Amino acid sequence: MEVFLLVLRNLMARPVRSLLTLLGVVVATSSMVLFLSFGEGLRKALFQELSRVGPAIQVVPEGVEGFGFGAFPEITPESFRALEEAGKNLGVRAVIPTLFLTRGGFDPSTSFFFQGLPEGTAPDLLYPGTKSKEGRLLPSARGAVVGAKVAKRSELGLGSPLRLSPRVELRVEGVLEETGGLADNLIFVPLPALQEVLGTRNYSTVLVALNPGQKAEEVARALEGAVPGLKAQTTSEVMRFAERALRISDLVRFGISLVALVVGGLLVANTVMMSVYERIREFGVMRALGAKRGFIFRLVILEALLLALMGGLLGLGVGSLASSAINLYTVDQVGLALSAITPRLALFALGVALTLGLLAGLLPAHNASRIPVVEALGRV
Amino acid sequence: MLRAENLTKRYRQGEKEVVALQGFTYAFPKGATAVVGPSGSGKTTLLNLLAGFDLPTEGGVFLGETPLHRLPEDERAGVRLRHMGFVFQQWNLIPTLTALENVAFPLLLSGWPQGKRQKRAAEVLEQVGLAHRLHHLPNRLSGGEQQRVALARALALDPGILFADEPTGNLDAESREQVAALLFAQGKARTLILVTHDLELAQRAGRILYLKGGRLLREEVLEVPQGQHL
Repeated sequence: MEVFLLVLRNLMARPVRSLLTLLGVVVATSSMVLFLSFGEGLRKALFQELSRVGPAIQVVPEGVEGFGFGAFPEITPESFRALEEAGKNLGVRAVIPTLFLTRGGFDPSTSFFFQGLPEGTAPDLLYPGTKSKEGRLLPSARGAVVGAKVAKRSELGLGSPLRLSPRVELRVEGVLEETGGLADNLIFVPLPALQEVLGTRNYSTVLVALNPGQKAEEVARALEGAVPGLKAQTTSEVMRFAERALRISDLVRFGISLVALVVGGLLVANTVMMSVYERIREFGVMRALGAKRGFIFRLVILEALLLALMGGLLGLGVGSLASSAINLYTVDQVGLALSAITPRLALFALGVALTLGLLAGLLPAHNASRIPVVEALGRV
Repeated sequence: MLRAENLTKRYRQGEKEVVALQGFTYAFPKGATAVVGPSGSGKTTLLNLLAGFDLPTEGGVFLGETPLHRLPEDERAGVRLRHMGFVFQQWNLIPTLTALENVAFPLLLSGWPQGKRQKRAAEVLEQVGLAHRLHHLPNRLSGGEQQRVALARALALDPGILFADEPTGNLDAESREQVAALLFAQGKARTLILVTHDLELAQRAGRILYLKGGRLLREEVLEVPQGQHL
């Protein structure tokens, strides 16, 4: 306990220097936490959304991975019919072709995501739990059903016009209740309308709903075997793909935050090195009194670790506050909390901060423990 | 008993070899022994070697049968902790610790539990007349008080050997007298090695070793050391 007090008092004896170093570590850790929190937020949101998707299998063109939002419509009506046929033989509940269209720019408030549904298919088949708040749940041939967030954001109500192209204009026939999921940001339109806009007869994704007890993996492999050129993905396969993609983006973001971390580490190293230099005589006295080299080493490394731990904890707090502020904005704009501080991220951040402290303290600690007693005491 | 045999220390200063101590042989008995001599006579080098702060070029230091000069650095530190106490001219207290914590420091190194450490440190500080200054930081104490804290720290583990290097060099007359009285009182029951150039102080010890040019010139044994009545 006295050793800890000794370290703490030494840091407090030079308050301005310790505070500035601490701030450096706080900035480094909080920026890392914030950068990585986007990956955690996306992961959380994506898995939440995927778990809400009704159909267990998504069929996309070969070479496409994930949900197929951005996929070019390559699935021909012939392939779809072959899938339907194979589905009948496998005893699946429904085979639903769908098409996606994105309109707008980088600003989420001016972006629109359309999903085309075949005749007779309501949004609740794809997104279970979806309910109509106003008007219809199933759009007519020239109608659209709008998710709660997009309706609010773009001030769309019953009867509002939606101009998809110079020739295709739809009217809002229903507004959905808010679910907190992806459906809140989508506009559901008839599939033929989207095909007309895109000038195609094809589909971008075919969703396959299973009957209770059916094994998704087995059905997916059977569908792939029956219709060449298509890839049938189960929800867990999509999740695995998403996890891979997120890991890569995590690494990129960690790489960027590494710059701040290295600067933070150098600050700690500089502070501890200066502190060691100023306390050479003190260490000499301790050694003269009988302290072993390991004791001095621990004393110095503890100082670096304490700075890193305090900076790490404060950085985590600041990062969490920034993450909450960002979420306030993204939830309002796109209905998703894009940043999340998960326990594993918190532990990782503290681990990185402590490793930083450890690395920054190694050289000063080694130097402090190796100074000859006579030199340290100025007795040469 | 602490014994030096043919203790020699040479340094290199560029191309030149400097002999700081040459062939010093002496067995320090119980009681106070003063080492005196002018600047550069080898007093500090002798204390560095006897305490194991530094290693001799030739010869050796023996504590009983243990050859201190042959032990690795950490083991020499262990010997110092168990058997030696130090009082330096510049007090050398740890500035961020209170008087009580400074005195408790060697006890901490020895692994004493906290409660026992506090009790023992307070007891020794009381012996040097600082019971009312336990929780003061060194910069809140006078020079004489700081030196008494340093003495209390040296005595905390009740060592058999006490080294004092110019212990009154930075003190005013009143503090000098207080510290000297305490030091010689504590030196009676143990081996006190007092390094000083203050002949008046040295004459209060039982023996005086005169060093010059790194050599032991002579030993003077005083029948009735001056000032022992204190």
